[in-house]
Amino acid sequence: MSDLGIKEAFSAITSVALLEALVVVLIGTALTIVIQKLLPKIAGKLGGKPRFYVLASVPLLRLVIIVVTIIVVVPILVDPSFENMIAIFGALALALGFAFKDYANSLIAGVVTLYEMPYRPGDWIEVDGQYGEVRSIGTRAAEIVTPDDTVVVIPHSKLWNSLIANGNDGTDNLMCVAEFNLEPHHDVSRVMSLLRDVAFTCPQTRTFRPVLVVVSNNPWGMCYRLKAYPVELKDQFHFISELTARGASALSVEGIRFVSAPVAGIR
Amino acid sequence: MTEEPVEKTDCPCLPGALIPFDQWKAPETSVRRSLKDAFRHALAQIRAGVAPEAGAFESLDSLPELSRSKLQTLAPQPDYPKLAGALLRSLEDARSDGNAYQNVTFLVAAPFSGIRSALGFFPELEPAKIGVHGPWSVIVPPENLLVDDQGAREWWGRQDLSTPWVIPELADFWLRHLSGLALIRELLRRVAAGGLGPGVIGCSSWCWQFWSAYFQDVHFAPLTPEPLDAAGIGAWFEFHASQAGQRTVIVRMTDDGHYVLPMAEQGEGKKRKHSRYLRDLASAARGNPGVALAIWQRSLRARPEEEAQSEDPGQGVAESTKVTRFWVVPFDQLGLPIVPQTQGDNIGLVLHALLLHDGLNASSLALVTGIPEGELSFILARLARSELIEQQAAGEGWMVTALGYPSIRRHLDSWGFPVDML
Repeated sequence: MSDLGIKEAFSAITSVALLEALVVVLIGTALTIVIQKLLPKIAGKLGGKPRFYVLASVPLLRLVIIVVTIIVVVPILVDPSFENMIAIFGALALALGFAFKDYANSLIAGVVTLYEMPYRPGDWIEVDGQYGEVRSIGTRAAEIVTPDDTVVVIPHSKLWNSLIANGNDGTDNLMCVAEFNLEPHHDVSRVMSLLRDVAFTCPQTRTFRPVLVVVSNNPWGMCYRLKAYPVELKDQFHFISELTARGASALSVEGIRFVSAPVAGIR
Repeated sequence: MTEEPVEKTDCPCLPGALIPFDQWKAPETSVRRSLKDAFRHALAQIRAGVAPEAGAFESLDSLPELSRSKLQTLAPQPDYPKLAGALLRSLEDARSDGNAYQNVTFLVAAPFSGIRSALGFFPELEPAKIGVHGPWSVIVPPENLLVDDQGAREWWGRQDLSTPWVIPELADFWLRHLSGLALIRELLRRVAAGGLGPGVIGCSSWCWQFWSAYFQDVHFAPLTPEPLDAAGIGAWFEFHASQAGQRTVIVRMTDDGHYVLPMAEQGEGKKRKHSRYLRDLASAARGNPGVALAIWQRSLRARPEEEAQSEDPGQGVAESTKVTRFWVVPFDQLGLPIVPQTQGDNIGLVLHALLLHDGLNASSLALVTGIPEGELSFILARLARSELIEQQAAGEGWMVTALGYPSIRRHLDSWGFPVDML
């Protein structure tokens, strides 16, 4: 048992068995690639909740394919007796434990990700200061696309020790905030009412979700935060720009001025 | 407020009764139809950009359609003056039952339900139908809807709201623009404060959705027409097609010959195979009579497919010459207008704005959507080509079509736009 029984376990492998296993693996890989390419494209054409359901199904389907492939391939290569299984998985655990510790860590975190779902494809998340839309969830890492069209690869192992902020958490509701820093000495209730109207009259606003205006007093003046939900998540930056532009225009008509840059800079 | 629905009227020009808004429920639909619709909608979205976009709607059958005059006889538009009288009786019942809010009643209805047109006839009602209040006056919106709070107060101050008054469509009084909210805001403040004369405010369900979100804490207890189910739609169609019972009308499906009308079984124990068409129609139209009528008119055919005609031989032998016989195309072959699927959301913005305001002209549309007029004209032309919108008259406002409404509502709902409750 010096080789942990590995030699016995693999003694029955023939070239035909290897070929069969290879074909199964290739089919599994091809299926995975098709799912990873096709489903996000289909999801891109769907709106609302169906889009999230289709996107979320991608990593799950991939996991199912991987598990099924393993279940099919192992009996082809080795006799699936209890002793053989112990030998193979024991050796595998040893190898992963020493050589690929971090990789295995991410793999396990990836499985946990699918179960706990701290983020799904289509979610807008922030991890370690990087904000973007989850484009795909791989076996080891997730990919997000930032608003500047940069892909950031985030290993799943971040799940253990990082704070993950999820803007929409699997839904199609994402709150956006437009901030207005105004000079003091104006009618606060009038500005709050005006900014609320700005959000309600913006055509991209989901009026069935709450529209809120909060105000705080700061050394440089009054800070208003207009919070509303856009119709489309992908338009969030355009939506914030619209709110800001419309709000600035309305405030200008009222003669209310923004604080100047040097004063705001001391914040 | 009591939660009892208002007593049902038996007037065939007003199928259904008025019920409290929060009691409205969409007609039941079969799982088969729901799945079919959802699949078709998803397929249409996925096909966008893959298959060439269809222009105007095209029916998938080649059977002869009915002439316009024949359609007018068999499936006419509702008699709006009669509908107005029936509405008023229902409203008075609602008031006496305590279902109406103070002196002013809000009547919220989905587009094409006919309420707007009927309320326009209130001033023409015979005195006997008016009750104790005296003649009704219609409040017409000002030319310029962009007014400030002071301007709105002055404008409403000039309107006589002490004698019976009616607003056929509240959506005509606003624009979704920062300066376009004041008129309705002021009116709703006055209604909430009380002290106005008897009034009826008709309001599109889309406009109501916006304003009920805007004024979350105000409860006006609106009424709404009860949705038509398959039986209600069948009775309504049968009444008109049979010319108020003077003729026997037989309507069958073109594909399998199953009966749509009459709904009643034949005598002497004979059993007819009835189609599920009316149930599907009620569900597709969400109980909306205007939408159901538009689909019905589009479905009628002069003759059936061969196999449906040859089925059931000898059926017509016992029927007299006073029998009107025509045919209905199944939903699957009808090919109703569908919203073009595009990546941009400008089409959604335009359709949503048209529904919110119950129709708008191009310049107002540009104002509320923020889409430049040049680009807007392309979108409008595209939507008109797809039979989703139509112009009321040359150079006038654009409106969503009744035939396109189900598809538009579904499109807006799936893309996350705020949609109405009805």
